Amino acid sequence: MGRKPKSEEERVANRVEDLRTRTNLSRQELAEQVGVHYQTIGYIERGEYSPSLVLALRIASVLGVSVEEIFWLDEENNE
Amino acid sequence: MSNELLVIFYILATLAIAYLWFYPKVIGSNIKLMVWMDVVVTGIPLAISAVLFWQSDPAFRLFSFDLNWFFFTIIAMFLIEIPIFLLYLKARGLWDNYWAIYRVAPKGSPDAAWASASVKSVEKQLNDTKWDGLRTTTAKRTLIVASNLSILLGTAFLLTSATREPGWAALSLIHILLIFVFWFLLRQSVRLVADAPQEALDEMLLKFRDRSYLTAYRWLSLIVILFVSALMGYSVFSDLQQMSDGFNYTISYNWPQVQAVFWLLFAYALMLPSMAMLSQDLKKERRRSK
Repeated sequence: MGRKPKSEEERVANRVEDLRTRTNLSRQELAEQVGVHYQTIGYIERGEYSPSLVLALRIASVLGVSVEEIFWLDEENNE
Repeated sequence: MSNELLVIFYILATLAIAYLWFYPKVIGSNIKLMVWMDVVVTGIPLAISAVLFWQSDPAFRLFSFDLNWFFFTIIAMFLIEIPIFLLYLKARGLWDNYWAIYRVAPKGSPDAAWASASVKSVEKQLNDTKWDGLRTTTAKRTLIVASNLSILLGTAFLLTSATREPGWAALSLIHILLIFVFWFLLRQSVRLVADAPQEALDEMLLKFRDRSYLTAYRWLSLIVILFVSALMGYSVFSDLQQMSDGFNYTISYNWPQVQAVFWLLFAYALMLPSMAMLSQDLKKERRRSK
């Protein structure tokens, strides 16, 4: 079984921006705490980049919630 | 004594003074200073050769090649000095310090041989705003088009009309200069990410960099395939000529044409990763605006 083309892959939705602003963190601060560049946080928030499991766990840890509360498969927009 | 032996004699004398007294006693373990001083040391036998042979300009024999005094002295100097230099580095414990001068990526990095931007310079560029003018959609598009036009027009000029133009050498120098200018601008536009070692990038930037190399390789393979196909086409065309013996093909080319092919491949090898990264950025921007 092959991989689906990129355009048909499930998108990962997230509420990183919502949780980040609630915890009063700037993109730069969150980026520094999870060890990435601040642009990467922007890409994740816009749903243009799906983070690795390690990065997702780090973000969840900094924002104080579980991974499932931040990231989920955006099945609605994939149909 | 033949001229060749005479040159080798004063090269050995210069090296003996440099490696037995000057470097160990005066320079010590300052490897950067030693590298600069080595330029001066290399200049000594060259200066002696110039004084002795500039006027008479005799031919020097080196491994069945006839050379003039300049090239014979330079090549003989390097052939004799390199093993001595390496042994000196090993013996004085300067080996790691010496190679660290040229190392862009951290020691042990898988990108050590390939990265042309250091971790520090990439980190600086990632937060840079000075070159933001090169990072707009229009600037990115203009950069891709202009750098390709510059490479292709320069190549076409050198291939076709260089020998008819009296100032071709100056124009070819401008072509080479433009290659490096566009390479610089492309690198600034992508914040050096395409040429960065992995230690300078986070997981997303690493993914973008690797993706740009895949695209760059595909484009480069297309250029090489077009080039070798043209060569094959020429051979087949030559076969069809009446004078052809069906086996031997004469391809005559002049110095500007050699320059054209060299700088075409060199320029694309340098620039394609950054160009590919810019093109990916533009695709992302198009998707975002939809």
